[in-house]
Amino acid sequence: MPQFFLNKRLIVLLVSIIVLVALIGFSLRERSKLSWPEQFLKDTAGLVQSLVSKPAHLVAGFFENLQDLQNTYEENKELKSRLEKLVSLEAQVQELKKDNKELRDILGEEETLRDFEPLQATVIGRNPDRWHEMIIINKGKTNGIKKNMAVVTAHGLIGKVKTVNQFSSTVQLLSAMDPKNRISAIVQGETNVFGLVEGYDKEKKALLIKAIPSGVEIKKGQNVITSGLGGVFPQGLPIGKVIDVKPDQYGLNQTALVEPGANFYDLENIIVITRSMAQPNLGDMGEGKEEEDL
Amino acid sequence: MKKFLLPLLFLILFLLESIFVQYIPPEVFGQNYILAPRFLFGGILLLTIYAGRKYGIIYGAIFGLLFDIVWIEIIGIYFFLFPLIAYLISKIMHVLQTNIIVAFLVSLVGIALLELGVYEMDFLIHITTLEFKSFITMRFYPTLILNAVFLLIAGYPLKRHFESFVESLRDE
Repeated sequence: MPQFFLNKRLIVLLVSIIVLVALIGFSLRERSKLSWPEQFLKDTAGLVQSLVSKPAHLVAGFFENLQDLQNTYEENKELKSRLEKLVSLEAQVQELKKDNKELRDILGEEETLRDFEPLQATVIGRNPDRWHEMIIINKGKTNGIKKNMAVVTAHGLIGKVKTVNQFSSTVQLLSAMDPKNRISAIVQGETNVFGLVEGYDKEKKALLIKAIPSGVEIKKGQNVITSGLGGVFPQGLPIGKVIDVKPDQYGLNQTALVEPGANFYDLENIIVITRSMAQPNLGDMGEGKEEEDL
Repeated sequence: MKKFLLPLLFLILFLLESIFVQYIPPEVFGQNYILAPRFLFGGILLLTIYAGRKYGIIYGAIFGLLFDIVWIEIIGIYFFLFPLIAYLISKIMHVLQTNIIVAFLVSLVGIALLELGVYEMDFLIHITTLEFKSFITMRFYPTLILNAVFLLIAGYPLKRHFESFVESLRDE
């Protein structure tokens, strides 16, 4: 077909491929914030989404309530049994808290990595393309949200804030495949093991903690929490449980597969975590790049 | 008033995708499958077939850009693929007859092309490391089935709407 690619069309195609590569390159580089037209568009879209999502939440909530009613009896039984344990646990926590506070007073240390302030937000949209797992929430810069803050549900960590606009922000879920998405974590045991959560296995539905030295013993069922050493997240946010351990390619390290505690689907209300303790200045750590407004 | 009807329709499809992903729990279709709704693109393809190439490419570019900025934050992927595939589909439709079954099948082919294109691009820029085989079984077939169901339900009303849109253009 000689007339299929007339000269003009060929040129248009080539030019658009060049523009495509340039645009992708432009948006893939490390950006501390989006350009203002993008922010404006995202905020406008966020406004429309929050209008639409309210009735949608209501309808979905109604069906969920119906489902809940069906197994109320079973749930009630289980919860009652748990409640008894809770009373003794609460007394224990009270005591430990008091102890902790007294000891801290003696030491004269006020802030720890654990302190944080929660900020409620509602999910108003989710990326339909499902490669880049992202959700959009209805709080933005005006509510005090900053880039890289941790985002949790009641069951555990789900992701971090990727970009912030004035009235909405984008959260990247842990299930997204992003090599830049690293979280410093602790595998809790008799001795704590430190590692980095890097990547997500879509087929096994598990997070991967790589680069654990091969001598360290890790068992199934151990809890994984954030370590707070990454600089942005507070310490002690639950991530999940270890389900499997396997040696890596060369046998020098091992990789732990962690089942996330939180469900990445069916998200509605989430909590954005603001760490109280000041963040270390990146310039002090010998990595002085451009991140001014983290 | 009538002028705004078409953009509004696509805006609704745009939002419907997000609502679909957010509220349809994955357990409904089994945990191991990934179903991506492509309602917006299905609509654009039907627009290309019934209202002409010009509209298909313009709407493809505008909504592709919107999709990139709002959802992906990487500008270019859908901005490029939506108009390109709309153009290819219009070329295919030159050869074929325009009846609703052909339109349905050709739109499905377009959605399949989009899925493959997006996968290749995401694989290239390391958004995903999913192997091609698992991509086909985990994502490609389930997505096609979902969108076939959507096209079956919405195909006829959309066709009617686009045809009346063309009529109103002719009257002016």
